[in-house]
Amino acid sequence: MAKLSNRFWFQLHGWFSLPIWLIFCFVCLTGTIAVVSHELTWLTNSAARASNPDNLTEKTMPELIAIVEQTYPSAKVSTAMSFESYLVNAIIFTDSDKPFAIAYVNQYTGEIQEINQGITFISFMRSLHAWLLFPWQNSYSIGYYLVCAMAVVMLGALITGLVIYKNFWRSFTRPKLRLTQGKKTLLTDLHKLSGVWSMWFLLLMSLTGLWYLLQAILWHNNIEIEAHPPLVKIEQLPLVGSEPPVRPVTLPDALTIAEQRFPDFKASYITPPEHNRDTYKLYGEGDFIFFDQYSYGVIINPWTGAIESERSPTKMNTLQTLSHITSPLHYGNIGGLYTKIIWFLFGVLLTGMSITGFLMWGNRTLKASSRNKIFTENLATENTRQALTQQEVS
Amino acid sequence: MARMNNTLWNRYKYKLNVLIILLPFYFIYQSLTPEPLESWPAKKIASFEVTPMPDNFDPPYFHDDHYTKDFSLTFTQGKVSNIRQAYLNIGKEPIALSTLEAGNEGILHGSQHGQEAHAISPKVLKATDKVWLTIADWQGHHVITSWDLPQALLP
Repeated sequence: MAKLSNRFWFQLHGWFSLPIWLIFCFVCLTGTIAVVSHELTWLTNSAARASNPDNLTEKTMPELIAIVEQTYPSAKVSTAMSFESYLVNAIIFTDSDKPFAIAYVNQYTGEIQEINQGITFISFMRSLHAWLLFPWQNSYSIGYYLVCAMAVVMLGALITGLVIYKNFWRSFTRPKLRLTQGKKTLLTDLHKLSGVWSMWFLLLMSLTGLWYLLQAILWHNNIEIEAHPPLVKIEQLPLVGSEPPVRPVTLPDALTIAEQRFPDFKASYITPPEHNRDTYKLYGEGDFIFFDQYSYGVIINPWTGAIESERSPTKMNTLQTLSHITSPLHYGNIGGLYTKIIWFLFGVLLTGMSITGFLMWGNRTLKASSRNKIFTENLATENTRQALTQQEVS
Repeated sequence: MARMNNTLWNRYKYKLNVLIILLPFYFIYQSLTPEPLESWPAKKIASFEVTPMPDNFDPPYFHDDHYTKDFSLTFTQGKVSNIRQAYLNIGKEPIALSTLEAGNEGILHGSQHGQEAHAISPKVLKATDKVWLTIADWQGHHVITSWDLPQALLP
């Protein structure tokens, strides 16, 4: 097999990285901010902090929903979400004067600290990073595809980069960052050093990005990764008089059923029924470290209390497992705040690498084009001189 | 030595990058200033008065093995809690309640402040099609009403 030249690999490295370097840089930057978006929210918005000076016990999500419903008697809660222990719970509801509102409820004190009727910084950053806010055409978004395609580019740049950089492991044993030998040397050292130290991160982002790409293709083709929860059979809905019946199973009952089913269940996402044939949907986390906060789920019939379907890591197929382990690995929340800080730092390095890479290419191209210009000018002068000499001779 | 051919792609690739990065700002503006949709006439059906509105002018889309079109419905009279089940479908005729309740498509969901439905729809909308609303109450009775499709929704 013909050996591929270093020049070829270098060109390939450039083809992977350069044409889209600005979009790549933007995606890296927004991803880096998205990693710490919860913490930035905590820092910048005191109403989003779940302070607990009196060391109170955490209230359950049904209790928090009840607080919102008591405060806004005509409100209808559609979703309840919990985040890190230092952030408030979000109770999403509609009311006669509020088409969409999020109540920031302190899970310790039960106080409603803010009513947000707009978009949150967290969801804005995630949407900006994941699909560049491109509109969704029902089951796909061009922006989502565009961002996912960066995984291919990143993997290609990683592989070609390692081929070009012979003995790259020396960056671990003898890291080199020459600050005083000119801009070109500094950029090259920075690019190589951050590239080698970020190898694991580049690989992780590429692989998780490839999963997101596959997931996008599955969504686009209406292939379900997880089946829709079943609806309540119409026969189970009572036929009564003029007054509508009360559901025998309440949300607190549903939570108890979920906790009995999975003893380590900690609710993170709850949706009460949206119509009479709908179910209570309770998702949460358990004792599997690499799985996301929705990897346990219990779907409960509000008329009978039966568990209509459930999800847990032990019962997941390959695609389901991948869909539940990707997010913690991509956004770095597998180990809480500490891993988030690590992901943030490497995100900064990755964003920086796209800039140093472009600057290195820019320097080379500018130098090459100025060399070409000088060569062309010299050639023109020489041609003119020869022509004049020939004229003089003739 | 790095060398660039003076192709259209090479000349405009970074400008294209900038354009794509600027697009999110346009999309934010677009989402903050949605296209106004004409309200359909309110119709009385049993104790309810309902006004449907399609979410957009797009044709029906394929989802979960059938074509669907999204609607929002406002109940200006009547309590939503008095509805046992309700469905929305588009076609020449309403789909029988016994068929609707055997599946889960087209069911109305939401709250008193606003209902939504992913209406069961044909692939292509025709002028002869109507939007059919079927509402069943807790006594086992059901009523049906319909709206003509406006020209704006037809291909």
